[in-house]
Amino acid sequence: MAILVDKDSRILVQGITGSAGQFHTKRMIDYGTQIVGGTSPGKGGQEVEGVPVFDTVDECIDATEADTSVIFLPAPFVKEAAIEAIWAGIKFVVVIPEHIPIFDMMEIRQEAKKYGTTVLGGNTAGIITPGEANLGIMPDIAFKPGRVGTVSRSGSLTYYVADTLTRSDYGETTCVGLGGDPVLGSTFDEILKMFDDDPKTRAVVMCGEIGGVYEERAAPVIKKLKTPVVVMIGGVFAPAGKRMGHAGAIVEGSMGTARSKLRILEEAGAYPAKTFSEIPQILKGLNV
Amino acid sequence: MRLFEFEAKKLFAQKKIPVTQGILASSPEDAAAAVRELGGEGVLKVQILSGGRGKAGGIKKAESPDEAYKIAEELFAAKIKDYEVKQILVDPLLDIAKEYYLGVTIDRANYKIVFIASPSGGVDIEEVARTSPEKIYKEKFDIDEKMYGFEAFGIGKKLGFTGDKLKASVPIILGLYNAFKAYDCKLAEINPLIETTDGKLWAADARISVDDDALFRHKELGEMGIEKRHEEGEMTEREKQAREWGIPYLDLEGDIGMFPGGAGFGIMGNDFIHYFGGKPANFMDSGGGPSPERLARMLILLDENPNVKAIFGARFGGISRCDDFAKGVIQFLREHGLSKPMVVRMTGNMWQEGVRLFEEAKEETPEVFEKIEIHGIETPIEEISKRAVELAKEAE
Repeated sequence: MAILVDKDSRILVQGITGSAGQFHTKRMIDYGTQIVGGTSPGKGGQEVEGVPVFDTVDECIDATEADTSVIFLPAPFVKEAAIEAIWAGIKFVVVIPEHIPIFDMMEIRQEAKKYGTTVLGGNTAGIITPGEANLGIMPDIAFKPGRVGTVSRSGSLTYYVADTLTRSDYGETTCVGLGGDPVLGSTFDEILKMFDDDPKTRAVVMCGEIGGVYEERAAPVIKKLKTPVVVMIGGVFAPAGKRMGHAGAIVEGSMGTARSKLRILEEAGAYPAKTFSEIPQILKGLNV
Repeated sequence: MRLFEFEAKKLFAQKKIPVTQGILASSPEDAAAAVRELGGEGVLKVQILSGGRGKAGGIKKAESPDEAYKIAEELFAAKIKDYEVKQILVDPLLDIAKEYYLGVTIDRANYKIVFIASPSGGVDIEEVARTSPEKIYKEKFDIDEKMYGFEAFGIGKKLGFTGDKLKASVPIILGLYNAFKAYDCKLAEINPLIETTDGKLWAADARISVDDDALFRHKELGEMGIEKRHEEGEMTEREKQAREWGIPYLDLEGDIGMFPGGAGFGIMGNDFIHYFGGKPANFMDSGGGPSPERLARMLILLDENPNVKAIFGARFGGISRCDDFAKGVIQFLREHGLSKPMVVRMTGNMWQEGVRLFEEAKEETPEVFEKIEIHGIETPIEEISKRAVELAKEAE
């Protein structure tokens, strides 16, 4: 078992003919991911890496029964692409590009809610269920099938955490990248609930960072979970008012500091880890 | 991107919001002339990209052109909240009867637009929210929702307006909401909205932050002379240089140069240094698969920073490969040299090859690599952080 994506997911790549689309389509296929089709308006009938290209998502679904989409398009085109996929009945959309306008992401989220679709991103490295499917731009090398789930706002932290889990023999069920943008398609609480329903996931490592309120929002959910949650929050020593790389990573006023996030999550029952090497120690203590 | 008050007022005026039409001054002479034109008195307000100007001494009343000259001279010479003052807006003095607050922003957690109104304006609204939350009124909207006149009317009533003032408040409330949506704002705020003793309403201050990622569809801002800008205080020379090179970079107060991978680990890596008793000199984000040129520029930023005593390097080879990373760093070391000790760890894609390249290069030109320590996957990143802290202490 896994969450959101597995070997049976039938995946469509929106923007498959662009350079990023082509490059990552090849990588995803090489990993064993079931890529069934792609879209690129006006380029229907072509092929990329042996995958058929369609003009519209509707046509792609008719021909391939795609149920999942990964988007590799410049930010200004993402809103149209995501809502096209949602309306066409795609149940899971992964938005890789960064710099998506906030209003666009809010509109995408609103449509996703109406249609019961899950959206990840923008500015995410994607999602991987090791050994089954790799959607996005994550390197396969850090991952190994196993029993711990991860959910993070950052790609680089996902790699370090997965690498730690892989080398300590826990392995991963699914690793989810929420994305580094200020407004995201999915939030920690939503993904944590999915992991809780997955019998194979014995624990979850959640990596947050300064800025926003998505980490805080997970607290009431963590209280109710059966699955233990280990939490790391980056930016304990970050200066207020300075943006650290991710568009979302800025401490505004007293909101969104790493310390306040850690305190709230700890009170909710999460196990804080300061460094990567503490993660396996905590998991061992929990008999995961 | 935050706009200056005078720019935000231009946008508000286009949405039919009554704003105080001040005069922009870029010298004490201008300020004196402006006060003369306004009838001998006015308010001088520094135009900086930060709130809390009043508390920081950036808003001052002048009761004569001479006084305006003197105040302006002081303001132009001072730094207000770390900002140089280049322009002062001279606004007419109003006879204030009452001050209100109006603002629109995004509730990120709930994916809603929030209109916020309060009869306690003119002060820090977060303070009002803390001390008297009953004085804050909020109305939530979906992203595709418009605001109807009757809704604005309802908000006006909540603020305590009646009769003509209630009627006058409706276009202001609608105008603010519409401006927020029209310009892809993250925040649009009138604080204070002033009721004068003669019963008129004026937007006496204006604040707008536009979503940087939506600027591509707001060419009209550029046409109005509103250029894309850095909004977080004055940049240091190094920050300016990094920005020119497209490298996310911040100067911090410590002495360990940070040469990490992506933003997420960049933030966390800085914490690691603190946990082991050190202080980072900077934040930096390499981006995915940095080119040799970008690697060189990142290292130049650290090498030329006199505060940096030692360098912490980490590479997680993802889609980009550690051997390419190693080649880029080796090329830089040979061509440019590095005056500081550096400890680097590589893991992920092709890390063994990366380590091997460094070892070979060291055999060929040992003098270049005297102060460079290379590690692979077997050394945990925590040990690298510790080592960087030690190196910085040794260099003192």
